[in-house]
Amino acid sequence: MNGLNTNNAPDSSVVVPHFIFGAINFFVLAILIILANTSLLEAYFNNKIIAITHMAVLGWATMIVFGALYQLIPVVFETSLYSEKLAKFTFWISAVSILFLTYSFWIGAFATLLIYAALLMFFSLLLFVINILLSYKKSAIKNTSSKFIIAAIMWLAVTELIGTIIALNFKFSFLTVIHLHYLKIHATVGLIGWFLMLIIGVGSTLLPMFLISHNLKYKKLDISFVTLNIGLIGLIINWFLVQKLLFTAVSWILIVVGILLFVSFIYESYKKRIRKKLDVGMQYSMLAIAAIILPILISLVLLIGFNFEFELLSRVVVLYGFSIIFGFITTLILGQTYKTLPFIIWLEKYKSLVGKVKTPLPRELYSKQIATTQFYLYLFFLVSIPIGFLMNNSSIIKVGSYSLLAVSILYNVNVLKIIFHKVKNNENE
Amino acid sequence: MSKQEIAQFELDTIELLKNVMDPEIEINIVDLGLIYELYYDGDKKINIVMTFSTPSCPLGDTIKTNIQETIRQKHPDFTIDIDVVFHPQWNTAMVSEEGKRVLGL
Repeated sequence: MNGLNTNNAPDSSVVVPHFIFGAINFFVLAILIILANTSLLEAYFNNKIIAITHMAVLGWATMIVFGALYQLIPVVFETSLYSEKLAKFTFWISAVSILFLTYSFWIGAFATLLIYAALLMFFSLLLFVINILLSYKKSAIKNTSSKFIIAAIMWLAVTELIGTIIALNFKFSFLTVIHLHYLKIHATVGLIGWFLMLIIGVGSTLLPMFLISHNLKYKKLDISFVTLNIGLIGLIINWFLVQKLLFTAVSWILIVVGILLFVSFIYESYKKRIRKKLDVGMQYSMLAIAAIILPILISLVLLIGFNFEFELLSRVVVLYGFSIIFGFITTLILGQTYKTLPFIIWLEKYKSLVGKVKTPLPRELYSKQIATTQFYLYLFFLVSIPIGFLMNNSSIIKVGSYSLLAVSILYNVNVLKIIFHKVKNNENE
Repeated sequence: MSKQEIAQFELDTIELLKNVMDPEIEINIVDLGLIYELYYDGDKKINIVMTFSTPSCPLGDTIKTNIQETIRQKHPDFTIDIDVVFHPQWNTAMVSEEGKRVLGL
């Protein structure tokens, strides 16, 4: 038997700071989007969009993912984390790096501050990678989930390496091709290699568990692992060396097949679920899985390469990033926060009290009303921003941005409510 | 203790375990069908064979602790052995009518 609360589980002081910092960064992210204003409709590589993207993927998504992973490593690998001290040290270095990096992009200090911020970020992510790899080395479990997680960790290292090289190039100009070319590879490896593979690795364990479904076809995930990795490696080799549309198309097909196999696995789990009614956490999660179709369609449009004017093309590229970061990744994180964090805190506070006193349910640690309101506001944000982009209308984007701000405030209220839950006196009686 | 008394004790203990909830599914473990077998030796030992809704159940250890504490509140000096098995696999046929109503089955 194993679970979130095994003897191998790390101390909550390793996990919880990631959720707090990630939630605060989600709020900062919403503020940055409001401040960026019309810059969102400009070229996709402008410094404001790059700053927002890094705050989203590192400050928000990766922070929560790190926290969740530290808790899940003992579950998936069936071993304790290699070093909790290293994890705590990594958190502080990462936190400083993320703020430093985002600030450097925001003020456009590409040739000065950015280099130091990028090197610090590279160092902190490397520490994380080392900690997870050494944990995996102790593990006897080599299943589909752990394969995806380890592949994701390796792709994170590659993403960070390419990112650091781009940053160094701003000062030393040693690359022969313009940095936008490398930026494309950096983003693709990060989004598909790191986030998507990690989500498949973790999601294929957690989602069927929360849906309570059995007898699933795990073979789909094994095939998905192969096609995703071959597709991604093919794409990188092509972009670095060959640069042929045919190779891009074949790689795209392999990656899409891998994604659809994962979607099919989750759909099978959804159809076979024993628990018919979805709570708010699972509503978010299922929405995220369905939303993955959007980046597939937009990437197809970009692949076919309609002769868009640069201005429209740029907005489609931003929309592509938006559909992955907000449509898929953020939606899933928002949902899974409500599924995992209450349990982590509930176990910490009530583990020694179960059976002795009446304990609340984990879902009672947060406000359902706030979570539901947050869900509908987030849906509004997800719909309004793409409309704003396609219509080139900054007013619609502004309305959408403010709804994200409201979402981030509500999310923070609930996260802090969960984390600082007090065991009530009458429960101790 | 007669066989009849032992059987009655086992039924009472199963009834007692209806106070143990699965905190995620929010149904007690008896109505959920997680208790496969429960034996009382007639003295101070209870053996329970049970399962979880999924092998990677995040609350498995907590549910086991809850069972031990709940029984010990009534029988403080009892030994309680809990064997967790995943064969046969838990399925909805094991859920009581009350449990099915809550699950929406």
